[in-house]
Amino acid sequence: MERKALDYVALNQGNANLTELYRAHIGDWPKFFKMDTLSKAGFVASELLFKKIGEKRPEGDGFIQNRAIVLFGSTASLCADRNYQETIQDKDNYYPSPALFVYTLPNIVTGEIAIRNHYRGETSFYVLEEPDAAQMAFHLACAFQDRVTDSILAGWVDSSRNDDFQVFMTLINRADAADTEWLASQLQLMINNLNK
Amino acid sequence: MEELILKLKQEIIEVLNLEDIKPEDIDNDAPLFGEGLGLDSIDALELIVLMEKNYGIKLQDPAKGKEIFKSINVMADYIQKNRTR
Amino acid sequence: MDRVIRCIADNVVSPLGLDSRSNYDSVKAGRSGLARYESMANITTPFVLSRVDRKVIDDLCGRLGIKGNYTFFEKFLLCSSLQAVRDSGIDASSDRVLFIVSTTKGNVSLLGQPEDGIDKERVLLAKAARQVTNYFGNPNNPIVVCNACISGVCAQIEAMRALRSGRYDYAVVIGADEQSPFIISGFLSFKAISDEPCRPFDKDRKGLNLGECAATVVLAASDVRKSGWELVCGAIRNDANHISGPSRTGEGSYLCLMEVLKECRRQELAFVNVHGTATAYNDEMESIALYRAGLIDVPVTGLKGYYGHTMGAAGIMESILSMYAVRDNTVLATRGYNEQGTTYPVSVSNVTRECKGSEFIKLLSGFGGSNAALLYRFEE
Repeated sequence: MERKALDYVALNQGNANLTELYRAHIGDWPKFFKMDTLSKAGFVASELLFKKIGEKRPEGDGFIQNRAIVLFGSTASLCADRNYQETIQDKDNYYPSPALFVYTLPNIVTGEIAIRNHYRGETSFYVLEEPDAAQMAFHLACAFQDRVTDSILAGWVDSSRNDDFQVFMTLINRADAADTEWLASQLQLMINNLNK
Repeated sequence: MEELILKLKQEIIEVLNLEDIKPEDIDNDAPLFGEGLGLDSIDALELIVLMEKNYGIKLQDPAKGKEIFKSINVMADYIQKNRTR
Repeated sequence: MDRVIRCIADNVVSPLGLDSRSNYDSVKAGRSGLARYESMANITTPFVLSRVDRKVIDDLCGRLGIKGNYTFFEKFLLCSSLQAVRDSGIDASSDRVLFIVSTTKGNVSLLGQPEDGIDKERVLLAKAARQVTNYFGNPNNPIVVCNACISGVCAQIEAMRALRSGRYDYAVVIGADEQSPFIISGFLSFKAISDEPCRPFDKDRKGLNLGECAATVVLAASDVRKSGWELVCGAIRNDANHISGPSRTGEGSYLCLMEVLKECRRQELAFVNVHGTATAYNDEMESIALYRAGLIDVPVTGLKGYYGHTMGAAGIMESILSMYAVRDNTVLATRGYNEQGTTYPVSVSNVTRECKGSEFIKLLSGFGGSNAALLYRFEE
């Protein structure tokens, strides 16, 4: 059976300006401006993906438990780490910033997306050396061992400096992950587009 | 005091990344937390850093911060009385 | 039947001991690694920290035969995992063995203080983990769980899943964090740290303490039940409404507890080992989650009063100590607790209590709205 290719969004600093994309397509989440580059990249990619596939956020106070967010990356929060480090490096200009420190964990990206979309499911962040499609497909399939999870917002997100980021985001369901070879081949297409 | 209030608003907008807000948008008596600007606990902690960095005022107790950061006027008043820079 | 996942070896390296048994004995005897520091590096605000003696780690590495140019964090990972792997008897160089590292900040201290002979890129977490897989000659790509304070539980859950998939037979799950000025100053900027030994669930609690620890479990997949500790199930749930504040209704922790309770034999539940960081919000939130899950009368125990918050190691070390406690029919005292200080009166005590039962739940929560729980069972 011919399986439909997975929709995805891929962005990097060479082909996208996150603030412009936010203003053009989102615009109603001022929290965006407090985020570090990693969170901005993940947030914008997820919003553009939902627009692309026509998925709307739940109305009112509804929460979704069967949607997980599983993201991978190699830099983790290095961009935010560098920004925070600057505020503590100099003894004579020592002003640790809580607003910067709060982003020094890569899973915060998953938290920001969960808040925006009212998710109550699993959120995870895994750090790999490189975007390895087979490794990612394997761990995404593992996530479905939680019977509650019906779909996963999955992706790769990296940022080592404020003006540097690479992200792709896709949505997979249980059936997509049952064939990990196929899933890996889909993820490889997205990986190939990370730096285009 | 006018000068201090304007400076304070600009600093708050910058430090808290209130991107689409201009000083004239902030009412001097409006609550900064809860309604008004809708700032949160991390913002409160950043304001504590701002007080020390720009005005030399050290606040050890974050609970005291809630009173001082009630509004721009209250904050400016407190700074005027306690600044060491 | 799902493959059975068993813990076949464990290790804890901390200021309270260099192996699990000595850590357990120290905690049972009431010893704590917590000490007050008036300052450190550029930090001039006092804080309480349980810090590992670097020379002790270097000596341990020497005795274990670990040579090479490693950062403190990497030595920490190695000296714990090497002991556990040796005890397990597995061949860690096999591709049927998966290494999973749990850490929040890894080698972040390299940003402030680069080290001679250490490539700057080791600040990348997977590159640091690669030092471990290379040491053991393991051919698989390292994977690091970086999910805030719940990482240690998440790493065990991911290991369980990886083993159940059939692709691996063993998982070496190592958790560690170095309490560098980066982390300490950050928590101080949140005004979250107490300048006294922490007081979990106490009405006068005023914040957390930090701690250093490295802990390892070696998990094995089996098609038959054998005697020993079984990792039965686990769950991870998000309840963020604010990225650094816990949910006021304990929603995520409650959902995790309800998931693991599905497989729990209630009469066998000896205790719940909680996060219990001694911040005003965390302990309150956990008491609500426990109450909502119908666990308000189950003994609760927290270890932060002995170790402080050990970040990436917490979920693993606190699970290991819970295993030893259950086998000792003991609910370890929650050091630092004195008087009931949460809306719901959790069953916490500052003296050791006896317990029966063969199961425990480990519960954790962290920044970004993360929550996780797991259930371990001792099969006779």
